[in-house]
Amino acid sequence: MSLTGLVAALIADDGTTDWPRRVPARLESVLTTMPRAARVGVRAAARGVDAYALTRTGRTLGALTVSERESVLNELAARPALLPLLDVLKVPVLLAAGTELMIEGGPARRGFTRPDPPLDLTPAHAWPARSTADAVVIGSGAGGATAARVLGRAGLDVVVLEEGRHHPTESFGRRTPLDRFTELYRDGGATVAVGSPPLLLPTGRAVGGTTVVNSGTCYRTPDHVLSRWSKDFGFAPADGFDPYLDEAERTLRVATQPLDVLGENGRIALKGARELGWRAAPLRRNAPGCQGSCQCVVGCPTGAKQSVQLSVLPDACAAGARIVTGARVERVLVDTDGPGGPRVSGVRAGRGSGGFEILAPLVVVAAGALQSPPLLRRSGLGRHPRLGRNLSVHPATSVAGRFAEPVTAWQGVLQSVGVEEHHAHGILVEATATPPGMGSFILPGVGSELRRELESAGHLATLGAMIADRPSGRVLGRDRTLLRYDLDHRDAGRLMRAVRAMGELLFAAGAEEVLTGIPTTPRVRGLAELDAVLAGTSARRLHLSAYHPTGTIAAGADPQRFPADPWGRLRGVHGVLIADASVLPSCPQVNPQLSIMAAALALAEAAVRA
Amino acid sequence: MSAARTARTATRTGAPARGTTFRETMLGTLRLDDEDRTRRVRLDLTVCADRVLRLLGTTEARATGRIRVADMVDDPCAEGELEISPLARRRIRYRITFTADGRRFALDGWKSVTPRRPVASMTVLTYTLHEDGARIGAGTLLFPLGTGLLPFLASFRFPRREDPGAFLVPRWHGEPGRTEVWYTTLTDPATGTGLWLHHELTAPADGSEPYAHGWAAVFPPDGPVRHARFGPTPWAPGESGFSADGVAVRPGLLSGAAGGGTLSWRLAERPVAEPLFTFPRWSWRRPLLPAAQMLPAARALYDGTFTHDDTTLTLTAAPGASARIYGHGNARRWAWLHADLGGGDVLEIVAAVSTRPGLRGLPPLVFLRLCRQGRGWPRRPERSAAGWAGAGRFRADIALPTWTVTGRTGLRRIRVEVTQPADRTLTLDYTDPDGGHATCRNSERADAHIRWERWWFGGWRTEAEWTLEGTAHAEVGTR
Repeated sequence: MSLTGLVAALIADDGTTDWPRRVPARLESVLTTMPRAARVGVRAAARGVDAYALTRTGRTLGALTVSERESVLNELAARPALLPLLDVLKVPVLLAAGTELMIEGGPARRGFTRPDPPLDLTPAHAWPARSTADAVVIGSGAGGATAARVLGRAGLDVVVLEEGRHHPTESFGRRTPLDRFTELYRDGGATVAVGSPPLLLPTGRAVGGTTVVNSGTCYRTPDHVLSRWSKDFGFAPADGFDPYLDEAERTLRVATQPLDVLGENGRIALKGARELGWRAAPLRRNAPGCQGSCQCVVGCPTGAKQSVQLSVLPDACAAGARIVTGARVERVLVDTDGPGGPRVSGVRAGRGSGGFEILAPLVVVAAGALQSPPLLRRSGLGRHPRLGRNLSVHPATSVAGRFAEPVTAWQGVLQSVGVEEHHAHGILVEATATPPGMGSFILPGVGSELRRELESAGHLATLGAMIADRPSGRVLGRDRTLLRYDLDHRDAGRLMRAVRAMGELLFAAGAEEVLTGIPTTPRVRGLAELDAVLAGTSARRLHLSAYHPTGTIAAGADPQRFPADPWGRLRGVHGVLIADASVLPSCPQVNPQLSIMAAALALAEAAVRA
Repeated sequence: MSAARTARTATRTGAPARGTTFRETMLGTLRLDDEDRTRRVRLDLTVCADRVLRLLGTTEARATGRIRVADMVDDPCAEGELEISPLARRRIRYRITFTADGRRFALDGWKSVTPRRPVASMTVLTYTLHEDGARIGAGTLLFPLGTGLLPFLASFRFPRREDPGAFLVPRWHGEPGRTEVWYTTLTDPATGTGLWLHHELTAPADGSEPYAHGWAAVFPPDGPVRHARFGPTPWAPGESGFSADGVAVRPGLLSGAAGGGTLSWRLAERPVAEPLFTFPRWSWRRPLLPAAQMLPAARALYDGTFTHDDTTLTLTAAPGASARIYGHGNARRWAWLHADLGGGDVLEIVAAVSTRPGLRGLPPLVFLRLCRQGRGWPRRPERSAAGWAGAGRFRADIALPTWTVTGRTGLRRIRVEVTQPADRTLTLDYTDPDGGHATCRNSERADAHIRWERWWFGGWRTEAEWTLEGTAHAEVGTR
């Protein structure tokens, strides 16, 4: 079924410009990368809107005039219960429309692209059906890459298996952000946690894992978190974590982001914080020489961001590690009859037609907090009752402020400034701008209103806030991941406070109005009005997304509570090391790349010593 | 030591009672990384495991055989290991090393068993080929179900696995009227000299004190036979073999001196074959026959020194065998042959007439065991001695200097002719537990001619023929 009518209605295609006509085709390509459920949902919703139009006017949306379409949509939007549904529909449409609008604005500025350091890459179809290694690392993200480097440097023959493909830096410059978005994210970025409210939980899938598409923000694990990991959970590496954090920072060349390419979005955040006397500063990032392309979330086109495929994996490959791309691990092989209990013997991976097996006495599971538990379950290693539970994420929401002067948020650093005033209360505000349509902020309105918002997006400054949650999620499933997350009552309150803090910051910086992201009251023009709006709504009405899933195979001292022992070794089997975000015993409360890398360093070194 | 105790000893060592052997042939292809064509491969393996194949567990096995890769490899001495674990680990792994033109290759692959495709996954071996640790190619070998399944299944054997040392433990436990013997015969391949070491425990029938004694004899090719006795000396029970008067038989070692040091020896013994029961196995376990003889290892190799008359023989991998006898005494008449036929084949014969009333009137009972290519013939030791209620039994004509044994089972027959020239024969007196005497004529440099034939459509065809000149070990005893 064609989506042309729906798109034309949503973005008020009046035929005066070319770009809206190209949006339906772009949307189709976005949908092909999404999971089947999302595809079916979008098409069903489009069909529903068409059916409504047919009922009201006798014609489908595509056959209506601009004003008739607008009228139909406004009738739908007048029903508050339908607003969240319309917003869900708007997400892929805004993705496609933002891209077309950006192309309309002229070719993107091309910065200097650094050559990538070499990697030892083999596509899965060229890998032998039978091979052996000293260690197999499943996943090439922050944890897997770090573990591979440690094991490789210890002289082990290491094979890294990565489900995604390798995307060299120069390939990023050749394609639009949206094309990269659909390739670099699992499920086309449409991974959803079922629950109340549902959360969008995008994760990367490529050589380098989510570090290819994260913002590059590098926070050290806060001391109070480390203290809790050590004292409350018995997570062994937490004692003496600092040297590992130092090592991770050195590897990623972490430094405070210089102000020159910070961008207007960040400057507005700094200005607001200055007005309020709040603690705020440019973030520490792993992007030396960042040119402010504002495309971190779709792969840095200049190679400035030191994702692990540019920083850690080259070292691992230099130490002898080999990376197999396009290889999805079907199961971890276990020898159950050996002396001393079950012992890992290798992995079996699929590659389209047939599969291959690698025998190895050590398997490092680093497929990410959302993929590792199902992998262990389908390998017969998911018997621990807490495996897949204890899922922590950083629930996040965005607020935009409209300024009189142009902001052009997509010119500058994507995530530039951190406001830590409320961090003690579990709220971290970060000035985050994205390429058009890719942020978690959904522009309000439908039809011509949405069109106006789209075309005046250059005057919007965007802030995002993430909160430290209580572990309220579960990773279910064996062959496919199914996420369940129910927002904790305390965390809902934190989210509301976060929205208020962001609004206050934007008004302090001189915003004319603040776009709240709440469908029923999308705009407020003052703090008092914002307070009133917030008093009358709940966190479930916010547009929520979530990042940084952790803790699903937590390591700790108590065998009843933690599927992995204090050194990250999976209980109940010899030879399985957990070295990704899932091993962290609780939410790190900051962007977790450094925490994951430091933990992987400590755990892999301990495994080598053992 | 009783048979039951022997069995317990074997159990205590932890070694499984039986092993597994089978043969497997696989055909397939190999593609070298630097070539764009495939080569045909054939792999023929003989697989040996130290235990009975465990279907539910994992069995480690050794493999030897031949691998052929078109225009590249034909190595009949390929060897390696198998890890057979079709259910526990769902894997049957092959690691085979072989050489060709001075290059050393390793084939490493496994069948990945899955219940979804049981036949395909049990018959397809996917492998990687390495040279000096680096991968050079990959391929697939297929077990040909149509032509290979029956030979594969028929090739399965579960041979007993026994520790040769366990058979050296004394079996005598105080009964009067018993004789127990540990004897070793061997031939020095360098000089042709034959050696005989005889260690005997005699428990007289009158209940007097048991005593140990024995002798050593050397059969040089260019001189007279020399022998010397040791003992008699009171018997001191030992745990692991024979030990008396400074002469010892222990697992892996024979040492001692006789004749006041005229002859002395120190020999290391390396068993290289399975035990051989010349008499039925049950007769060794349950001493119901007047006596029984067996070889802890059908073949053994000896290294060390043997000194006689100021001449020291230095032996290196000298072939021979040790044997054990336990019974009531010597037979009325007997003949014995141990012939190492080369290539791992051995012929052992004991033909004897009992001293017991009623039995002494019978012709000699012939116990003949031919071990050829790892198989024993006749299949049951009783067959050669008793036939079918006497009919078809093997026959022995015991005389000197030449004695013969002939026999037939089914489609095969054998004729053995042993010659013990007088100048190469040593004559000794044996004393029975009851005080009786027998005369033994022994030669470790006897000649033997063996012809083994198979019936084939109307005629006998010679399947194998061996002629031993001075390397057969034989003995004839009379009263």
